[in-house]
Amino acid sequence: MHTIKFVRFALKNLLRRRTRTALTILGVAAAVAIFFSLLTFNAGYTRQLNKELDRVGAHLLAVPKGCPYEAAALIIHGGVIPQYLMIEDLALAQAIPGVEVAAPLLLHQFFKDNRPHIVYGIDAVQMQDLKPWWSMRDGRFFTNDEKGVMVVGNSLAKSENLKVGDVLSFGLRQEPFEIVGILDETQSQDDEFHFLSISEVQRIFDKPDQMTAIAIKLTDVSRISEISARLQEIPDIQVVTMSQMMGTVLNLVGSVRSLLISVILVAVIISIFGIINTLLMSVNERRSEFGMMKAIGASGGDIGRLILIETVFLTLSGGILGIGFSILGSTLIEGFVRDIVPYTPAGNLITVDGGIIGISLAFSLIIGIVCGLYPAIKSSRLSPMEAIRNSYE
Amino acid sequence: MNGNIITAEKLTKTYRRGNEKLYALNEIDLEIASGEFAAIVGPSGSGKTTLLNMLGCLDTPDAGSLRINSVSVSNLKERERGKLRREIMGFVFQQFYLLPTLSVRENIELPFLFNRQSGYKETVDKIIETIGLTARVMHLPHQLSGGEMQRVAIGRALVNQPRILLADEPTGNLDSGTARNIIQLLQRLNGQGLTIIVVTHNEALANLAHRIIPLKDGKIV
Repeated sequence: MHTIKFVRFALKNLLRRRTRTALTILGVAAAVAIFFSLLTFNAGYTRQLNKELDRVGAHLLAVPKGCPYEAAALIIHGGVIPQYLMIEDLALAQAIPGVEVAAPLLLHQFFKDNRPHIVYGIDAVQMQDLKPWWSMRDGRFFTNDEKGVMVVGNSLAKSENLKVGDVLSFGLRQEPFEIVGILDETQSQDDEFHFLSISEVQRIFDKPDQMTAIAIKLTDVSRISEISARLQEIPDIQVVTMSQMMGTVLNLVGSVRSLLISVILVAVIISIFGIINTLLMSVNERRSEFGMMKAIGASGGDIGRLILIETVFLTLSGGILGIGFSILGSTLIEGFVRDIVPYTPAGNLITVDGGIIGISLAFSLIIGIVCGLYPAIKSSRLSPMEAIRNSYE
Repeated sequence: MNGNIITAEKLTKTYRRGNEKLYALNEIDLEIASGEFAAIVGPSGSGKTTLLNMLGCLDTPDAGSLRINSVSVSNLKERERGKLRREIMGFVFQQFYLLPTLSVRENIELPFLFNRQSGYKETVDKIIETIGLTARVMHLPHQLSGGEMQRVAIGRALVNQPRILLADEPTGNLDSGTARNIIQLLQRLNGQGLTIIVVTHNEALANLAHRIIPLKDGKIV
């Protein structure tokens, strides 16, 4: 009962200086919003990256020798690398025991309306073995021996307003390709690609028997090290596992993340000093009041407790507001992140997560306790006499 | 009147200004009987407020001894002095020190917040009636006149049923008519057995006291 009265008393004190209270809460909200956004981005990014790598459907990617991890990242993301594996490499890979699927991939770009479009040459049968979750929104999938046909990803179809029966021309000789099917949404980069039979991509871009990578699915994942070693013995091939890919991509974004953490640290430090300054000003202004309270029986602990409750209320309110801002502005934040982070997986990067909300609230609570402690101790030690005398000065 | 509720012997308080030692109180000997109404008077800087603060355990003497309600308070720690203030003293200040966001009732109830007492509604109602503010209980301080604010401050000082009321210039910020009402209220409270010690420049108030304690340069003259 007394605690409730104490809290009510503290809240009424805060309402006395509404503008200052509001500005302090906004300061905390800004710091917590950045903190919350970073945590949700970090969790969302890792989750979506995992999902995206999972959606590759392969346990390993065999890529040409060079910078294997960056090359693998580019391939998954729809980038084009200027090195190729040959059909002999594919045959050697397929011959290794324990390899269930070795699907050749050939990526190429063409430009339409000054925007790059990715053409993904695949083996229709093997690709559907790798990605059994693929289903058609409209139309059908092509067969390997069909010429002049393609399937497009869901997002691409929406953004370009494509439908089954439409014809697009590309390749070195601008050859026409009819859309025979549109994929259902996969929430991966597949939603953005034009899928053609690999033999057609090799033909129209003049890359006979060449491929950008081989996606490999194993019969038994526990043999991944052994089979990787066997694949590495093929002279042109370098092997990348999905976990290595994950590490590489996370390293790519690591520097951006460090920058964001620095921004957060600065925001939090500014916010902390701002709150301490506000509280100290408030304590100084209320010295005589504290003196009166002590005269009528308040202990130093009571005064300190009052200041702490006020501070914690300020920072918790700021925390809730900051989380709210963050959630409401998640589309903007995501757009900003996609602009500055080098590799961003498809799907929602920022999603509301109860655990992260809890951590962010705990963070604002800790800020409250850290900021409130010094002013609370200072005010609790005021002698009633000094405090009252102060009002005469 | 009964026995002494306050006994001060050679009570001394000094301040330093550079190398100079100033006596705010210089070996004051004083006895206040239970139920007495005493007025401390004197020119500015004579040590009136310092003496009142000392008697109210808000300040500590540099030398001498002080017994309040048979307890030697000279060497008490702040926590123990706080307990004594909470249990047997009430304070009224010239500036009222009402909390602007609390209503009349909440301001009066404030001491109960700090002594963790509950079930005080009837006591507070009675105090509000005594100070004549029954119709204003939900008003905020800025909606009250100066006299009403001082009544609230007196109500707050009375709510824990103190044995001693210490008032520092309780009429200092009031016009003469309002001051007269406050004086009458204090007189009535004293009539009910409350020991009252006031610091005042108000002659009318001082003249109502059983005893006037004149101070000059930190000494009773």
